[in-house]
Amino acid sequence: MSFFAGLDAESYDRTYRDADLARRMGRYFRPHLRKLIWAILAILVMSVAGAASPLLVAAAVERMTVGPLSPAMLSLAGLLFLMGILVWAANWLRRRLSAEAVGDVMLALRRDAFTASVGHDMSFFSAHASGRVVSRITSDTQEFAQVVVLVTDVVSQILEALIVVAALAVIEWRLTPWLLAFLPAIFFFSLGFRRIARRVTRRGFRAMANVNAIIKEAVTGIAVAKNFRQEGAIYDEFAAVNAQSYRINVERGFVLAAVFPTLNALAGLGTAILVYVGGMNVLQGLITYGAWYLFIQSLDYVWFPVLNVSAFWSQVQGGLSAAERVFALIDAEPAVVQTDHQSVPRLEGGIVFDRVSFRYTQEPVLENFSLEIRPREDVALVGHTGAGKSTIAKLISRFYEFQGGSIRIDGRDIRSLDLTAYRRQLGIVPQVPFLFSGTVVDNVRYARPEVSPVEVASLARRIGDGEWIETLPEGLETEVGERGARLSMGQRQLVSLLRVLVQRPAIFVLDEATANIDPFTEHQIQLALGLILEEATSILIAHRLSTVRAADRIIVLRQGAIIEEGNHRGLMQQGGHYAELYSTYFRHQSLEYIDRAPADWLGNAAEAKKTGKRP
Amino acid sequence: MAVAEFTLARAPASDRRNPVRYILSHVGRHVWLVVIALIGAFGNAALAAVVPIMIGRAFDLVLSGRADLPALAQLAAVIIVSQTVRGVLQLGRNFGAELIGQRLERDIRGELYVSLLGKSMTFHNLQPVGDTMARATNDVREINLMFNPGLNLVIGSGNFLLMPLLIAPSIHPVLLLTPFLFLIAYAFSLWHYLRELRPVTEAERSAFGRMNTRLAETIDGIEVVKGAATEREETAQFEGDARQFREAFVRRGRVEARFLPLLLLGLATGAAFLQSILLFNQGQIEVGDVVAYVGLISLFGFPTFVSLFAYSQVSLGMASAARILELINRQTELDQNVGGHAGPVRGKIEFRRVGFAHPGATTGLQDLSFRLEPGQTVAIVGQTGSGKTTLAKLVNRTYDVAAGQVLVDGIDVRRWDLASLRAQISMIEQDVFLFSRTISENIAFGRPGAVRAEIEAAAKAAQAHEFILAFQDGYDTMVGERGVTLSGGQRQRLALARAFLTDPRILILDDSTSSIDSATEDEIQQAIFRAAQGRTTLIITHRLSQIRWADQILVLRQGRLAAAGSHDELMRTAPAYRRIFERYGDEEG
Repeated sequence: MSFFAGLDAESYDRTYRDADLARRMGRYFRPHLRKLIWAILAILVMSVAGAASPLLVAAAVERMTVGPLSPAMLSLAGLLFLMGILVWAANWLRRRLSAEAVGDVMLALRRDAFTASVGHDMSFFSAHASGRVVSRITSDTQEFAQVVVLVTDVVSQILEALIVVAALAVIEWRLTPWLLAFLPAIFFFSLGFRRIARRVTRRGFRAMANVNAIIKEAVTGIAVAKNFRQEGAIYDEFAAVNAQSYRINVERGFVLAAVFPTLNALAGLGTAILVYVGGMNVLQGLITYGAWYLFIQSLDYVWFPVLNVSAFWSQVQGGLSAAERVFALIDAEPAVVQTDHQSVPRLEGGIVFDRVSFRYTQEPVLENFSLEIRPREDVALVGHTGAGKSTIAKLISRFYEFQGGSIRIDGRDIRSLDLTAYRRQLGIVPQVPFLFSGTVVDNVRYARPEVSPVEVASLARRIGDGEWIETLPEGLETEVGERGARLSMGQRQLVSLLRVLVQRPAIFVLDEATANIDPFTEHQIQLALGLILEEATSILIAHRLSTVRAADRIIVLRQGAIIEEGNHRGLMQQGGHYAELYSTYFRHQSLEYIDRAPADWLGNAAEAKKTGKRP
Repeated sequence: MAVAEFTLARAPASDRRNPVRYILSHVGRHVWLVVIALIGAFGNAALAAVVPIMIGRAFDLVLSGRADLPALAQLAAVIIVSQTVRGVLQLGRNFGAELIGQRLERDIRGELYVSLLGKSMTFHNLQPVGDTMARATNDVREINLMFNPGLNLVIGSGNFLLMPLLIAPSIHPVLLLTPFLFLIAYAFSLWHYLRELRPVTEAERSAFGRMNTRLAETIDGIEVVKGAATEREETAQFEGDARQFREAFVRRGRVEARFLPLLLLGLATGAAFLQSILLFNQGQIEVGDVVAYVGLISLFGFPTFVSLFAYSQVSLGMASAARILELINRQTELDQNVGGHAGPVRGKIEFRRVGFAHPGATTGLQDLSFRLEPGQTVAIVGQTGSGKTTLAKLVNRTYDVAAGQVLVDGIDVRRWDLASLRAQISMIEQDVFLFSRTISENIAFGRPGAVRAEIEAAAKAAQAHEFILAFQDGYDTMVGERGVTLSGGQRQRLALARAFLTDPRILILDDSTSSIDSATEDEIQQAIFRAAQGRTTLIITHRLSQIRWADQILVLRQGRLAAAGSHDELMRTAPAYRRIFERYGDEEG
């Protein structure tokens, strides 16, 4: 459930010493020191003015017991007005300043967290769910910053309570122990209640997550139920879950509904004791009326701070661990490290893997792997899942760090290049094409904003006379929606190929999509691919027969090693691993299969009938 | 009157004319809870006022000089008893409101669900599931929260506002002045504050939404960001978004800092004090009255602080009620047509100059005609958005045509009894939905009485038997949320098994978004091929082999028929079609 999301630990999490954490946090607040000092002063004023009110009334009550007040004493009322205004004004100043300081700290934290995140390499993102990274950048920074507001709130309440208690102690020490005797009682009571409430709430949340999942299914399943006319059955299921949800919530509701009534009854008991004990002391002539009044009022002033303090610690802890999570994200060590930042002129596109070793975690994926790709050569990598195809592509893209050997681009160590300049000469199309919200043109120009829409349009028309543009409702100005959701898979594929085409990369890395695409779009994708292959060194992780055949060289991988290479016809004739891969992955795409499959199946079925076996 | 495909006999009627009436008609079923909550709210506030009055009495008692401890103890006892009773009443108020909220959540969700079941397939196909889900969970929950804490606190604190007004005159009539003025100023300033706060909060929320959405997109597309080396541009973009949020956040902070009711509370305390000591100086009231009155005014503290949160909770709840009601009241065009033509379908399908346009549907169709004999298979081919899915869905009346006719066995589908028609048409969608039940229950969903042998036979025909047996619990394996996750190909074969079991005369199969699952490709294609044998089949496909063996092929382009005919005919007449196969031909050999 989202309620607990973000609390999960990640492998890059670390524990900071309290002093380090404080120093780190201090660094973010230091630029706003003046605002913070003013805010603290405002809190002091608020607390003093808030505490002054009962003192003023107590002083007046004291005088009234001996007769009418002198005109001078009437000014006490004026003071009380003043206190009311002061509390409001100080609160105004505090809220305003703390909102500004908190807003700025949040901004700085988010900027740092974001910069650090995009700076991490792909090994980081493949290990950590993107949703969690996002929640650290947005929610955790917010939670941390909000704790500051919370702290100032609670501090001002506690301060106010302390002033009242201190005043009471000065005015009449005899009564103070009575008041203090209440504190632990309130504290432990609220702590206990909180525990019970947390338990029922957690149980409620868990049950609700369950119920929500079932309701989700019941709602999603309506269409299926209607297709089969099973509405009655699905309703009964829903009704049972709905009733269960009600029961759980009522149980939880009762516990929560009882909290304040119980506290109020307890407060009544406390007040009664203070009224009686205080009155008794007054009767015995031990204390004054004013002290009695203050004594009774003080209960109100200590009651809420103590209630809040019991919750305070866990909230502060929550804020601190949020800070810890954000700092851990910022401090996570990048795995990909460049040794130098040499400038990168226009690349020829020669790639050499020289005895490269690589592992993601423990299992080695590549060991002593060597491969040479000539400039402009188009190489298709084939093999079963886990054979190392995408690893090779990712190492060329410098998304991951390899552990042994060397990779040379045009004869230069890949680690010595300026990474940004190098990547600008790569054209990479991931298996699931990713578009950003915006128009098709925006996406095509993503890596090269300087390219004009006119150029984009002319390039787009080079693919099958631009027929595919006509299928977009607004042509190249069509909004693609979040993550490109409004376009079909095939269209997204075309847009990301066009993006690469605009880039004019020296090296083209394609992880081909596995989605089925309608044959017309598929045809155009192949045309676009052809345009790119002409110009760049291409590394193709091929899933389509036509792509494999378009390559100059097919490299057959098994368990991180090259076991065969050559062209399609030659490899088929060898009858080795490639021939085997072909019959698993590519045969269905061949014309032979397309033409003959049903006849084969019917033949099978007939045969099966004859021999009495299942096909 | 709306027509519905599903109704529940025992459902009580609710007033659906507007959100307020709607909520009231639901609350009306729980009158006793309302009475308990209201009594609790009033009693709680009244008994809270007892405390300052008793304290005042205690002062007067001690001051009078004839006091004794038993009399003082009596006052203390009154406080204890009254506050205990107050606790009980407050619990009544809280729990009463809680129960109303919970019951309304349950009842309204049930009502919404029944209404959803009664809506046509057209409705469900146009209505995004996410949106429906949000209304069935969040919005219904908001109505619950509108009662507790929302209305509970509004009414509870409203009674606190009332008490000083009711009690002050019993001390001295003039003392009515301060609470009276406070109330007027309070109502006005609160109204003003809420009005000022709403746009600022809204701006903050949307700034956060923008920042979050874009951020999530960037992190999800990080491979593209890195590949294009645009980290710096993305950072600038994010910083801009984060800065906008910062501005909105600070603006809200400034509005909140100006919270005037807090100032009013301070002024009211001062005014109450001044007023009462003036009256005291004139000898009109006692010291105890001053103490009681100042204490009474402090009752305003509670409404001052909870008001914010409580009012917005109520307005959120009403907005949710309006959203739910809108969904319930939305008209549904199709009805069951009970008493329409019913009988066995033979499987002849004809489209006569069919036109279709719907604001929410993806694509329209224009002037579409073709004919399928019983048992034939038609492959529907075309790019995404060309109208393939829409076309298929006109057959089982998921949608109704806007122009022309769709005929099944020569009878317009609109004249068929809907239940009879749909029972004989099986539709397998792109995204196969499985219930969180066992595999065998999922297969038997369309025929609840099926025995195990029949289920297994269907699974075998759909090439699903083998992978089902590979699970530990075989046919009793749970799928979905609390069970195993199945691959797209496996789900598709379970859906095919469903179809084999119900043995429909017409099968509609959307195979267009399945991904290449090479290892099982052959099995899936075989299963689909078998399912098509002996029934009229409409198959939306990207697979060339399926196109190849279909009796007819319809090539759609932007809602129109670009080409139609058998494979051989299209090879002769349609250049675009021929190009696809030519490409393969070139590579062959």
